[in-house]
Formats: sequence, C-alpha cells, structure tokens
Amino acid sequence: MKKLIIFLGSVIVLGIVLNFALNSYIQAIVISFMINAIMALSLNVITGLADQFSLGHAGLMAVGAYTSAILSKEVFADHWYLIPVTVLCAGLTAAIVGYLISLPSFKLKGDYLAIVTLGMAEIVRVLLLNWNHVGGPRGYNGIIKFPEFSYAYIFVVTLLSLVFVACYRLKYSWFGRNLWALNEDDIAAEVMGLDLTKTKRQAFVISSFMAGLGGGIYSHHLGYISPNSFSFLVSTQILIMAVLGGLGSMSGSVIAALILTILPEALRSLPTGSLDIRMIVFPIILIAMMILRPQGIFGRSELINFCKEKKWIKS
Amino acid sequence: MQEFFQHTLNGLSFGSIYALVALGYTMVYGILGMINFAHSEIYMMGAFMCFYLARFFGFNTPSPMNFTLGLLGAGLATAIIGFSVEKLAYKPLRNSPKMNSLITAIGVSLLFQYGGQIIFGADPKSFPTLIEDAALFELAGIQIHLIDLIIYGVSFASLAALSFIILKTQTGRAMRAVSSRPDMTPLMGIDNNKIISMTFIIGSVLAGIAAVLVSIKYPKIDPLMGNKIGMSAFVAAVFGGIGSLHGAVVGGLLLGLGEYYVLGYGASTYREALSFCILILILIYKPTGLFGSNKKEKI
Repeated sequence: MKKLIIFLGSVIVLGIVLNFALNSYIQAIVISFMINAIMALSLNVITGLADQFSLGHAGLMAVGAYTSAILSKEVFADHWYLIPVTVLCAGLTAAIVGYLISLPSFKLKGDYLAIVTLGMAEIVRVLLLNWNHVGGPRGYNGIIKFPEFSYAYIFVVTLLSLVFVACYRLKYSWFGRNLWALNEDDIAAEVMGLDLTKTKRQAFVISSFMAGLGGGIYSHHLGYISPNSFSFLVSTQILIMAVLGGLGSMSGSVIAALILTILPEALRSLPTGSLDIRMIVFPIILIAMMILRPQGIFGRSELINFCKEKKWIKS
Repeated sequence: MQEFFQHTLNGLSFGSIYALVALGYTMVYGILGMINFAHSEIYMMGAFMCFYLARFFGFNTPSPMNFTLGLLGAGLATAIIGFSVEKLAYKPLRNSPKMNSLITAIGVSLLFQYGGQIIFGADPKSFPTLIEDAALFELAGIQIHLIDLIIYGVSFASLAALSFIILKTQTGRAMRAVSSRPDMTPLMGIDNNKIISMTFIIGSVLAGIAAVLVSIKYPKIDPLMGNKIGMSAFVAAVFGGIGSLHGAVVGGLLLGLGEYYVLGYGASTYREALSFCILILILIYKPTGLFGSNKKEKI
C-alpha cells in the first residue's frame, strides 16, 4: 500500500512537472519511451520467459495501430475519450492475429516461431501497402490524438503500469513457472505433464495482446501511421530493448527502453556531420552485449532483487 | 503460351540465384543450427566489393576476362568477410544458448547495412557492365539472352563444384560428419573450428558469385539490396528443408518460378508477401520442408 502511494505520488509529480515545465519535444519523448517499454515488456513475455524467439512484433504493432486508427476514425467518429476503447480493441485484434500465427508455429521445436513471425510481419506490411482505403503506401493520416498532454500522460502511464504489473505477476505465477520450466528443459517439463504447445501458444497470445496495445497508443500518439513505420527494423529495436534489459527481467525491459529512447536523442546533437552515428550504435551495443554480458543488464532478476544481491540496498 | 515460357525462363534464372544464396543459409544451419541473418549482407558486400575492385583495378569494361576477374574478386572478398564475421562475432558464442548467436547475427546484419550506408552512401550505384548483354537467338518465339545463359552456366558450375567438394573431398566428408555429430568429430581427428570456418567461406563465396550475377542483370546496387533476396533465399532454404543441400537448390528454383508467375500474371505488388505465404503454408502442412528430416530426440 505504501509502495503504491509512493508510486502514484511520483507519477503525479512527474506529470505536473512535465505538463507545465517542459516543452512538447520532451513530452513526446516521454510518451514514446512508455510505448517502447510496453513493446519491450510484451516481447519479454514470449522471448524472455518462454524462450521463443519472435522477430515480428512490429507486425503485431501494425495490426494494433491500424485497428485502433480505423475504429476511432470510422466507427467512433473521432471522440478522443473513446481512445481507451479502441486501444483495447487493438489489443484484442492483435491477440486474434497472434493466435492464428501460433497455430503453425509451435508444431516443431526450434526457431520456427522466429521464421513465422518474420513472415507474418512482412505479409501484414505488404497487405497494408496494398490496402488503398487506409492510404496504402502514403500512410493513414489524421488519427485523433489526445487534446492535451496530461490526458495522454495519464492514459499511457496507467496502461504501462497495468502491463508492467501483469507481466511481473505473470512471471511469478504458476503460468510463469510453467514457462520457466519449458525454457530450462522442455523434455523434463513435458514429462512433468506440461502441454508444451498449449503453454507456448497462450504465452504468445498474451504477448500479442500487449503488442497490440502498444501499437494502438502509437497510432494515437503520432496521429499518422504508414506501413513503413512497422518495418523489420522496428522489430529488432524492440528485441534489442528486451535483450539489453535482460530476457526475463521485466524492470530490465523498462530501464532498457528508457536508455534506448534517450540515447538516440542524445546522440542527435553529436557533431558528426552527415554521418548518422545512431544507426551504428544499436547493432554495436547488441553484438558487444552478446559477447560480453549475454544475459543483459539484470539477467533474469528484477531491479529490486538485483540491488539486494549486490547489497546496494538493505532488504 | 509464349508469355508463360518467358516467365519460366526468368523464374529459373532468378531461382538459380536464390539457390546459390539459399545454400549458404542451409549449410550454416546444418552445421551450427543457427540462422545466419548476416548472410544477405555478405551477398550485398559481394556486389560492392566487385564494384570497387572493378573501379580500382580498371576492369569495368565488358569482356569475358573482366567478368571472370569480377567473379573471382567478389568471391575472394566475400570469403574473407565471411571468415572474419564467423571468427569475430560467432565463435565467441559457440557454447552459449542458440538465442544469443541468433541475436548476434541480427546485430551483424544491421551493422553491415548501416555501416554500408555510411561508408558507401545510401543512394544506389550503377554496377559496371562486365558482360555486354545481347539477345542471342529466338526459341519458340521468345528471346534467349546471353546474361540468362551465363547465370544458368555459372550457377550450375558452382553447384557442381560444391557437390564435388561436399561428396568427394576429405573436407566435405568432414563437413558432413560435423553436421551430423559435432561431439564425436574431434575424436576422429577433425578440427571443428576449421570445418565451420570452411563452411562459412564456401557459403559466402556462393553468395558473392550470386551477387555479381544479379548485379550484372539488374545494375543497381545499394546497401539494403541484400534484404529482399536474403529473405526469399531463406524461405527457399526452409521450403527445401533447412539443412538439406539439394533441398535448397530445388526450393530456390521453385520459389523463383513461383515469384515470376505471380509477377507476370497480375499481382505484382504482392510479390514480397508471396514467399512468406508459401513459407507459412509449408510450416502448416510439411514443417520439415521438402527434403528435411525430422530428427527424433533421445533422452
């Protein structure tokens, strides 16, 4: 209870500071950090907990973004207070797509989910490029936004907290332990009576739902989406966030999302002339990370346990 | 009917390119069990290295000699690149979980793409015409181009050389041994690291040759050119059954044909999605691909 009050208090103070004291550039960065954090958390459920590699979260994000944009424009007649409803619908649609993808993916062991999700993202992108009603390659314009920053902030913070708490609780629930078991040794898990296919499928549907939510907010945050905003590069960025924070560590994902949202903006001011150093930095972080500290910043443990292990704070 | 033959010819010519690139994916998968995402970038580097070598040594005029030099140069350069990528990025991770080497492969691929954009520039460059293309003769109403014949010839020769190496030489036998039991081969006196390097070198050389052939036919090269063909070749490898060499060749040819029929009969904007639709259908109905074997696991 005390923790909850501290959390709420700090969120409200931060919101007030952001709303009145800072410019819209920083406000936009804050919102996109939270969207990135939701995406990294959603990938962490399937890749971190269940050890199933997904390379197509940008595709699920695209499904969510377009669902939410089309719903709010054509069905709900641009009422901004209905954005939470459309975002929820975005999550549900992405979950349905995720279920369809999971049907062929988990028949075999190995990297098949990576291949199928990669293909799915590409198919979604090509279908959107060919769908003229939503603008095709020109993109979809004029999506309703929140009228003020404070509303957007409250909504996105609530959603991020819900997703974070859901992931955190999921990790330590019986379901999370099932996922952990099949991550460690799938044969042993199967012998213990765990239905591997079903468990992986459920984890992927949950992950898709969260990715759809992230996509839904993304469309209302920018007000403009195009099929090329959801390319393979976006999937890899989400992956880099989840890996950098530590696969299986939920607070790690949030912190990595924070680092990787701020880092490119900070590098923007470097005097590099026409060279775009930012594009090089991401892959180098990824490779160096894999060779030097393959488990990510926190490994599997959460921030609070990590600090306790290192004796930085007293338990 | 005439149109059909035309699409078939084009499809086969592009399919043999897919087959060359797909072999690189399937060989690395067969021996290391990992998807080498950087393979499409090695293909891209092949085209760029040939471009710069041709400019530097001045063999950018059309002649058979220059064409051979271009193929050799690209093959040598990609062999060095493939070897060093394996040594620097993949070897330190040999014993860590498979996920890590997969992520590293994506990192290497992105590094090449963006490094390429910074070093070579993002705008497309026009590749030197190393072979003057000409319509040689007409067959059943369709024109046979020299470049298509050269693509068939060079791919066939490379495939023949590859199967000679794999089936007849000591190295090839060692490669087959490592791919079936990597834990037993050191006992037989085989140096696994050497064989894995060899696999990367052979796969990269094939990709380099394919890159030169494609760039002569479509003379525009840019740092992202590997993306599309890499994906399709990868699908071809899965289609044929990943890990199986003749599967990759058959898969590549079939995929090339399929893409050109789709392209020829209307749905050209859906071309990129086609390969993935095929892929998902395969994974639903025959997950191991055409020639793949489903390994039974023993406890």
